[in-house]
Amino acid sequence: MTTLAAEPTAALAATGPTAAAPDSAGTDHPPVVLAELHDALTRRGMSLVEITWEQQRLHEARRWSVVEMLDGIDVARLTPLERAMVWNAGRAELTTKPGADRLERQADAECGRWQRSNPTVAAIMQACGTWSRYWNEEEAHHETAFNRLAALTGMEAIPDETFLEFRQVFPDDGMLRTLVLLAISEITAAVNYGQCRAAATDPGLRALFAQVAADEIQHRNYFLSFAKALVDSGEYQAKDAFAVAHLFLREDGELGGSARERVESRDTHVNWWDRLDTADSAAAFQPEASGRKEQLVCGALQKITGLTVRTAAEVEDTWMDLVGA
Amino acid sequence: METRAIETYIRSTFAEYAGLTEEELFSNGVTLAEAVNRSPRMTNSIDLMETFARTSNAVRKDYGVRVRLPALPLDTPMSGVLATFLAEYDREAGTAAPSARPSVAEMAV
Repeated sequence: MTTLAAEPTAALAATGPTAAAPDSAGTDHPPVVLAELHDALTRRGMSLVEITWEQQRLHEARRWSVVEMLDGIDVARLTPLERAMVWNAGRAELTTKPGADRLERQADAECGRWQRSNPTVAAIMQACGTWSRYWNEEEAHHETAFNRLAALTGMEAIPDETFLEFRQVFPDDGMLRTLVLLAISEITAAVNYGQCRAAATDPGLRALFAQVAADEIQHRNYFLSFAKALVDSGEYQAKDAFAVAHLFLREDGELGGSARERVESRDTHVNWWDRLDTADSAAAFQPEASGRKEQLVCGALQKITGLTVRTAAEVEDTWMDLVGA
Repeated sequence: METRAIETYIRSTFAEYAGLTEEELFSNGVTLAEAVNRSPRMTNSIDLMETFARTSNAVRKDYGVRVRLPALPLDTPMSGVLATFLAEYDREAGTAAPSARPSVAEMAV
């Protein structure tokens, strides 16, 4: 049996010290996201059991209670802006469960598809599908926290029709594109929640937004890890990562969300960023947020592909070069 | 009206990359959404974007003009897309300058 001799230290979030010789339980270092997953599976010989243990430890280390978090919020004193931010967050979070369900299913199918031709890619897919159970559970915290709080503050109830509409499943695409889209979705959510935290005055609500933003950044780190591993495998092309980034960063792109002059109407699924109702919460969102998102998306591309870009225009140029004619 | 050489080039190149005939793409008000549905090589907006990018790169290679297309709604008819493509081509052709940008290989870290 392979021992956990590798150093799961290179967390994308720059957390955790370098691990010394691990003990048999693998608990002598803080749990981290494995930034070099392909390397862990190949050169370092980590098994899926070991990788799953690291996922479990990180999940346990980050668990928190929705009930306790809500107890810390002075519901009666929340301002109209705070209530609007909570209501929007609750609706948006409804779309995460179908995303996680779909990821689990697609990763499992992809695992089977690669099992004979490239067992390392199959293992990456399995690691991703396995982790999706933690992602789903953590997003359940976000959804229920915000929707319960919105109900407690007397905000407009979400009808079952809307609940079902927001639960529709996004159509399948290639796995690398899917992971990059999810990473950008997490980046967008994290920046938005950071803005909400800054705009909130209730200490308990600020803590909730900060906790959820931190969770989203951790999720982004996992998506980057899986996406990078696929590119490192040589079976997936960097151009697909850049294509998704361009879809978001281009003029009138997805990053504009519901503020765009025109939002594509779909009957297949809901992109949460298309459906934010910012009429009552516009004050929470500052202009620098879009620049921060652009910066983080460019950073994500660098981590996944090794190619450095700094602006939306450079993303487009690089993508065009990678696509070829 | 005379069909310009660049228009013929764009139509045939896009059709080739989409895996469709020009007639399937440019007749009867076919929209972008319908083009995606009909194409054996495209399944979503990202594939569509890539087909435009490849067409644009081909134009750049053979005509020396870099065309950038804006985001277009999926209900845009292909005739409208073509008109936008040509308008951007004309605009860029008047101001096109050699790029000093580094290659992808030079950007790798």
